Amino acid sequence: MTDGMSNQKSGLKQTIEFDDKSVRWFMGASIVWALVAMLVGVIIAFQMNFWQMNGKFIEWLTFGAFKTEGLEYLTFGRLRPLHTNAAIFAFVGNMMFAGIYYSTQRLCKCRTASDLLSRIHFWGWQLIIVSAAITLPIGLTRGKEYAELIWPINIAVAVIWLVFGFNFLWTLKKRNEPSLYVALWFYIATIITVTVLYVVNHLQIPTSWTHAYPVFSGVQDALVQWWYGHNAVAFFLTTPMLGIMYYFLPKAADRPVYSYRLSIIHFWSLVFIYIWAGPHHLLNTALPKWLQMLAMFFSLMLWAPSWGGMLNGLLTLRGAWDKLRTDPVIKFFVAAVTFYGMCTFEGPLLAIRSVNALSHYTDWTIGHVHSGTLGWNGFLAAGMFYWLAPRLWKTKLWSVPLANMHFWLGLIGILLYVGSMWVAGIMQGLLLNQTDETGTRLIYEFAETVDKINLLLLARAIGGTLFLVGFILLAINIYKTARSGQPVNGTVEVYVEEEKKQDNMTWGNVFRNDPIAYTFWIIVFMLLWFFLPPFANWIALAITLILTWMAVRAFKKSTKKWSDWHETLLENYLPFTVLVFIAMFIGGAIQIIPTVTVNRAKNIEDRLQVPYTPLELAGRDIYISEGCYNCHSQMIRTLVPEVMRYGDYSRMGESIYDFPFQWGSKRTGPDLAREAGKRGDDWHFAHMMNPRSLNRQSRMPNYVWLAHQDTDIKALPSKIAVQRRLGVPYEAMTKNVILDKAKKQAQEIASRLIDAQISIPEKEGVKIASSAEAKEYLQSKQIVALIAYLQKLGTYEEVEAKPEGTHQSTTIKPGLPDTYRPSHKVKKKAAEEKPATEKPAATPAK
Amino acid sequence: MADNKDNTAETTSKVKEEQLPEGVVLRDHVYDGIQEYDQKLPNWWLFTLYIMIVFFIGYWVAYYQFGWIKSDVERLNDAMAVVKAAQKAELEKVVANLDDDALGKMSQDPAMISAGEKTFQTVCFACHGKDLSATMGGAKLPGEPLNDAIWKYGEGKPMGVFNIVMKGSPDVTKGMVAFEGQLGAKGVVEVVAYILSHHEAKADGTAKPKGK
Repeated sequence: MTDGMSNQKSGLKQTIEFDDKSVRWFMGASIVWALVAMLVGVIIAFQMNFWQMNGKFIEWLTFGAFKTEGLEYLTFGRLRPLHTNAAIFAFVGNMMFAGIYYSTQRLCKCRTASDLLSRIHFWGWQLIIVSAAITLPIGLTRGKEYAELIWPINIAVAVIWLVFGFNFLWTLKKRNEPSLYVALWFYIATIITVTVLYVVNHLQIPTSWTHAYPVFSGVQDALVQWWYGHNAVAFFLTTPMLGIMYYFLPKAADRPVYSYRLSIIHFWSLVFIYIWAGPHHLLNTALPKWLQMLAMFFSLMLWAPSWGGMLNGLLTLRGAWDKLRTDPVIKFFVAAVTFYGMCTFEGPLLAIRSVNALSHYTDWTIGHVHSGTLGWNGFLAAGMFYWLAPRLWKTKLWSVPLANMHFWLGLIGILLYVGSMWVAGIMQGLLLNQTDETGTRLIYEFAETVDKINLLLLARAIGGTLFLVGFILLAINIYKTARSGQPVNGTVEVYVEEEKKQDNMTWGNVFRNDPIAYTFWIIVFMLLWFFLPPFANWIALAITLILTWMAVRAFKKSTKKWSDWHETLLENYLPFTVLVFIAMFIGGAIQIIPTVTVNRAKNIEDRLQVPYTPLELAGRDIYISEGCYNCHSQMIRTLVPEVMRYGDYSRMGESIYDFPFQWGSKRTGPDLAREAGKRGDDWHFAHMMNPRSLNRQSRMPNYVWLAHQDTDIKALPSKIAVQRRLGVPYEAMTKNVILDKAKKQAQEIASRLIDAQISIPEKEGVKIASSAEAKEYLQSKQIVALIAYLQKLGTYEEVEAKPEGTHQSTTIKPGLPDTYRPSHKVKKKAAEEKPATEKPAATPAK
Repeated sequence: MADNKDNTAETTSKVKEEQLPEGVVLRDHVYDGIQEYDQKLPNWWLFTLYIMIVFFIGYWVAYYQFGWIKSDVERLNDAMAVVKAAQKAELEKVVANLDDDALGKMSQDPAMISAGEKTFQTVCFACHGKDLSATMGGAKLPGEPLNDAIWKYGEGKPMGVFNIVMKGSPDVTKGMVAFEGQLGAKGVVEVVAYILSHHEAKADGTAKPKGK
């Protein structure tokens, strides 16, 4: 059997042994972490129905030997980040590495460049996961979704990722197969994009060994976070999976890939378009409108490139559908690719601003991500493992019926999961919006709407449990398979050319050609169309369209030339990588750079956040540490029901000093953006100690420990120093001033609480005899700092309106291009600045 | 090529000389046994992309270049103006004939009391207790007791109680939340009727618990 270019049998014949040991290790790690991630997922799913799952269940398990009303380490706020990080980085990450190490060696016909780097990669990654599993439950977090790990671990992740990337590219360099197969394109895109995303979203300044503030705040941080968050889905959970699909699916089906042309088109369009879609996680919020619009439209345009992958997967099975009956691997692959198709149809749908108005912050989103992670990634992983195991251990799969059983359990599980989440999300969204017949008041309290989806939440938890049980069957099956065989490393015979006919393209040939020229100018004029002032934007649009038409004509005329250029590009891994980087980078740069460079406080119109006092800042860090953002948002969207429920809509300037932003992405509890002054301190105290005492339908954990653990006010001076560096206008304060301020505010709150006759929960060894003692005891506790923070949320000052047309910023405005609209739009914009709804300014800082 | 033997077995059964439909090419390059067809992109698939691009351009032009579509804040403000007007109208209707005497009469109207009781026992009880004592199982709840003659706010007159429930206490951080939004003016009247049904008027018009 000969392969392509190497069929001129010249050169030195060599037998190369692949490093399949790494593949076996990564696969084993993936399976173990999958079980952990899914088990934690099942626990936190049941927490939605039963607050006792926050730790009280241990009391029952130990028949009362261990008394607790809930453990701080097991609350939803702390475990949910562990679940998501484990699922993404531990389960899918290790699975991705297994797939990449296996297929890259074979597609390059050479062993992975360095065994040492592979070992460092493997052990480094597992160490990171273990440290994540320790730090997250003890409350060390950055408070940004899927980016919760603290800064020392961030550095480790970056280093290990670069080790992997370097090892991969080095392998490409050493390859004995000149042309890069489509799977490798996707791996390249994964490696470079994840590097960029991870670094930018983890820029931060440490305040201690375990804590740091991100350099971005408020709307900037939100934008960067969701550029990262969305593209983590794109380039960690999608592109590597597509690469794996392109290798393992045709292998398992033993059929040619459906269309090479489709691979090219959907690869490049996916890489270019995906990165723009991030802000669709922030629709109808305080994010500038142009970013919301771009996110929506690019998400819609992303539908086709995504389905290109699905089509190439499903249509490859033409002529192999009979295997669906007998081969569990094909079953898993078909289900996985189908879920990919469903999920990437649902994604653009959810990115439509009016659909998102209903779906956002509800369980619909949760269903959507799980159809991606369990349906697409989970099934693909299972199919790959079942295919790999017999080959890695040179034996037969231990039990095909067991694999089939896994398939059906998993499928029923995920369908139950996704179905119940759809209904729950839509139902809760509708209930929240429902008004009485006069249209003057909302019918349901927030907790009531959650209560009404109880059964659906339970169905979800059961669905997830079924999926977990299925995966336990996989673990048994793979283990037994491995035991029945011997570890074997694959080999390949190659003729190593002395002079390799690859990687010889000049940079001139890479960039100076029709395809690149047309693409470049089309993109340039498209960007000008977004940003130019009136009339000039018409011209830019016209030129964009004309150029597109010319490009189509040029392509039709010299198709061969264009495709030959691409074929040459495929034999040059570095130019290919550079072009992927550029295609990926454009979207992020256009969206993020204008906003992060100019959106500072001096540019804010309308309202400006009042900075936190030292104690409030300490309280905020407790809020973040407890992971409150996993259930509570701080963003009132520009939607009528939101304004009726929570108050005036949130402005861009109202979270400008929030490092990190806490807009949230899911509401299991109500929004807190304007919580200040809505309720009394004693209400908050009673509510934190036992939410059900004030709201029977609440499923929030009892945060009893907050009344007994001390606030870390000693950390405040270094925290405030960092915040000052980041531009928060704190006056110059010595350490003692900071501590005194914090203590004084704490004393006031503590004595207010004691005067209101709150009762401090009992704790062994704590004896409080008088109210003076109680005040003394309480003032240093976390609950006081947290209450101080909650009573600050939504506090702002009005910014003096600047006269029209005198925008201070000399460069680009964050609101751009909205400020460049024709005159009738500018007038309307001026009207926007006077909010129609009257809302008294929240109580200023005490 | 000789991967391990399982793979070799697979790669021998490759598509070779099959009858290909017109326009479909089987590329001669093989990657680790994987072959690729080259065939036309499905038209319906291309159209999903084209339609989205046209929609993009059309919407963007309509919004930014012609200003045909209202901005989010304009839309919100218009809608909220309608809601506010309706709320104001309802409030005026309820308050029109409302005074201490009228509220006093309502507190003897069984229909009003039972409606108010329902609201009280689902919303207010959390802070004021099921029996209005602001305690639960002996523990103090955040609210004030409503079954005594002490009125922290509103001087104990029916309209004073009504105003507190509507607007909340003067400093909300030290007292009660405004319930106008959640209950509506009518709902508030009912709750006040229920609370006052536990009281009788003293000579000066303030409320005291019945029989005390």
